[in-house]
Amino acid sequence: MDAFAALANGMAVALQPMNLLFALIGVFLGTAVGVLPGIGPALTVALLLPVTYKLDPGGSLIMFAGIYYGGMYGGSTTAILINTPGESASMATALEGNKMAKAGRGGPALATAAIGSFVAGTLATLGLAFLAPSLVDFAVKFGPEDYFALMCVAFVTVSATFGDSPIRGLTSLFIGLTLGLVGIDKLTGQARLAFGIPELLDGVEVTTLAVGLFAIGEALYVASRRHHAEEKLEPVRGSLWMTREDWKRSWKPWLRGTMFGFPIGALPAGGAEIPTFLSYSTEKRLAAHPEEFGKGAIEGVAGPEAANNASAAGTLVPLLTLGLPTSATAAMMLAGFQQYGLNPGPLLFAERPELVWGLIASLFIANVMLLVLNLPLVGLWVKLLAIPQPWLYAGILVFATMGTIAAKPSVIELSMLAAFGVLGFLMRRFDYPIAPVVVGLILGPIAEAQLRRALAISLGDPMVLVQSWASVILLTIAAIALIAPFALKGLGRFKASDD
Amino acid sequence: MLRLSTPILGAIAAIATALTPASPQAQQLELKIMAPAAPGGGWDQTARAMQQALTASGIARSVQVTNVAGAGGSVGIAQFVNSAKGDGNQMMVNGFVMVGALIMNKSQVTLDQVTPIARLTEEVQVIVVPASSPIKDAKDLADAIKADIGKVRFAGGSAGGVDHVMAALFANTIGADASKVNYIPFSGGGESLAAILGAKVTAGISGLSEYDGQIKSGKLRAIGVSSPKRIPGIDIPTFKEQGIDLVLANWRSVVAPPGITAEQRKSLTATVEKMTKSQAWQDILKQKGWDDAYLGDEEFAKFLKSENERVTAVLKSVGLVKS
Amino acid sequence: MITGKSGRARPKTDSAGVVVAAFLALLAAILVWDASKITSNTIYGMGPEVTPVVIAIGLGILAVANLFDALRGNLPARESADPVAVWLILGGLALMIAIIGFGGGFIPATSALFVATSAAFGRRALLVDLAIAIVLTTLVYLAFDKLLTLSLPAGPLERLL
Repeated sequence: MDAFAALANGMAVALQPMNLLFALIGVFLGTAVGVLPGIGPALTVALLLPVTYKLDPGGSLIMFAGIYYGGMYGGSTTAILINTPGESASMATALEGNKMAKAGRGGPALATAAIGSFVAGTLATLGLAFLAPSLVDFAVKFGPEDYFALMCVAFVTVSATFGDSPIRGLTSLFIGLTLGLVGIDKLTGQARLAFGIPELLDGVEVTTLAVGLFAIGEALYVASRRHHAEEKLEPVRGSLWMTREDWKRSWKPWLRGTMFGFPIGALPAGGAEIPTFLSYSTEKRLAAHPEEFGKGAIEGVAGPEAANNASAAGTLVPLLTLGLPTSATAAMMLAGFQQYGLNPGPLLFAERPELVWGLIASLFIANVMLLVLNLPLVGLWVKLLAIPQPWLYAGILVFATMGTIAAKPSVIELSMLAAFGVLGFLMRRFDYPIAPVVVGLILGPIAEAQLRRALAISLGDPMVLVQSWASVILLTIAAIALIAPFALKGLGRFKASDD
Repeated sequence: MLRLSTPILGAIAAIATALTPASPQAQQLELKIMAPAAPGGGWDQTARAMQQALTASGIARSVQVTNVAGAGGSVGIAQFVNSAKGDGNQMMVNGFVMVGALIMNKSQVTLDQVTPIARLTEEVQVIVVPASSPIKDAKDLADAIKADIGKVRFAGGSAGGVDHVMAALFANTIGADASKVNYIPFSGGGESLAAILGAKVTAGISGLSEYDGQIKSGKLRAIGVSSPKRIPGIDIPTFKEQGIDLVLANWRSVVAPPGITAEQRKSLTATVEKMTKSQAWQDILKQKGWDDAYLGDEEFAKFLKSENERVTAVLKSVGLVKS
Repeated sequence: MITGKSGRARPKTDSAGVVVAAFLALLAAILVWDASKITSNTIYGMGPEVTPVVIAIGLGILAVANLFDALRGNLPARESADPVAVWLILGGLALMIAIIGFGGGFIPATSALFVATSAAFGRRALLVDLAIAIVLTTLVYLAFDKLLTLSLPAGPLERLL
């Protein structure tokens, strides 16, 4: 089928004024619910799905796409403004974004996130429209051993979040890995580190850990230091909008983030977290001013945000071509299709092209709407930071705990949240980096499960890990990334002595 | 701007009607249904579907859905048994997966403690192989298992779940050692499907609807379904007609708290039965692709008991539970 | 490293660093103990008890490394902290958990947290803050409960709404 003609057809449907309005409502609702920490895009879509039931398929899909993108973007807003990542995929955004907001550059941070999301979303949707069939063949050939190799690359790049001391960074990472062990072992169903407490059997929730470490830890830390110097938050210092310099520093990270996000998102077990970490560490390595990282570098917001959004479009590749829902959000998308008795899969493109292309066109429209809605709101969001400090932090804590209270209102879960808050406070006080803990919690269990799956398939033969081209290439990249900094350092010393 | 105002009103009305379940001749019945899982999952969808059907058909005035997530329902059922004891207006959704989860998690609370009300839906299981596989039917698969059980790698959902139980039952039925089955759990149907399509594993096990598209498009070959009889309109032989006595379904049901009176139980059963006959419920079943598998209280109680025994035996044979 | 990075003449032992090292060693010990209780039934590949041991070895090495840092006094300098503010917020969190645990509901629980936090940041107008908190959390409760049909913990106050 001629993809261009089909897409144009879909566009014509999506561009009707009524459908544009549905897109706007969807983006608005999605953003409003998505800003609540602990309520990620999947839950947002789940909660708002009934709203779309009453519309015709076209309008419903468009509103749906709007909710989806709005939910994604909402998580970044809280990450930047109040250091509370709404979901694990916006954790990398919080690292630099919140530092920018504290320095009065919240406006440019939100703007680069919104525009980066738009650019990445648009490019990735184009990728979805034209590359999906060939990409999917590659994606299903990606086996457990290849995922394990990809995790090795991710682990090596985590060091970008370590700060000054490798020992302290590794300590944080291993605390995260330990937390990742808690709960039922995926492969054998046996409990580890659960100490007979049923609530621990599901493991440590990433959002509970992130909200505890980031939001509550931060509030405790700021409160403990208040007597030194009243920290004065200036919502806007310099320009509210992105300057020429900001644009110059943002566009390359947007494109690179898209390059990470889309293909990894298209892998059935790729996810959104790994591309954001990869993007963050790449930007840190390539930045003209790497010393700005950790103090609010705009590249560190632009790249991960683009990666995050591109991976969301990437997840649609296996969903639309194979009917594979590879993320919680994709599973909700599937539910969205099923309200019309449609089963996404190999036959969908052939049987109902108008709906598939309508959805893809809707994604474009939703992206535009996101920009239209959020850029004017940047000024308003940033004003939130002008709230007097006691109320601001009190509000942040209520807001931060609310997600956990809504999802799992048990005393044990809330106690874990508070305990992670104390951990976050102590780590800040004794200068251990926070991010590697969350990274360890996310990557550790995936790496373990994929390694053990690969070994179960090979009946215990470790050679399986180097049997595919993809895994050999990825392991080589990991090895180079591990050795290169030392080699470069040595080379630098050699050169320096040469001069 | 008249052309724009109609859609605005339409959208607002759509949102309003979606958010306020209204019914003219609603009775005074106020129910609470617990989904022992996070919002969005199968049990949550079932609970919310009941909410929708009960209020839309006017059987109940209001239905509140609460979510208590954790450990395959172990956390939810513990809370349900303790806090809802004797309350005739509360129910909890559960299903096949909870039977195994409670056993594996060594839960203090068991399904014997709840009051069975009704089985609602079920889904048939299927075993598939990649289109390129030399295995053509259930007999080939059985032969492969008998030849070298370790080399037959099964992909499916979580350990101890319905897919895993099915792999073990298949081995048991053909006389192989279930504890040697090479079952590789994946998180979510998507991931295991990719492993099957990529021929990383020998065979895959899942609910039929999940693999339906791939089977129809010829990318996967279905070698058998676990229903007792052929499903109308679906051209896949059952295991039974291939000489393998394997019947299994992934069912979902609803139960009441312990300690309710016989009248309370009777009235809850009547309410649920009325709901399953309502047009609203039938519409939802169709929309979600669920099969109606209604089974009333006494029969369901017997069914629940036999499933409990069967799953316990299987999990023991796989070595997931110590005997 | 012959001379300390900071150039300090006499490195002082940092007791906090020693506590961190002890904590990591304890964590490693718990991991090994827990792994020893897992009875592996894995026939093909790697069992669930391997990874905890690998992580425990890593934690053990890091415990030693952190201990060296602490003994050398290699920790970054830190300023004094205000314990009152920290305890106020922790008290607020504990109160919130207790209220939810005893079925007091969302609004009182999060209001308590709000007031405690704002007091930790130096506010003394408790009643004003309480009023703000109750209005804010009531609005949040209504939005969740009525609009999103997502049930938050309900106590006596919420049932009136």
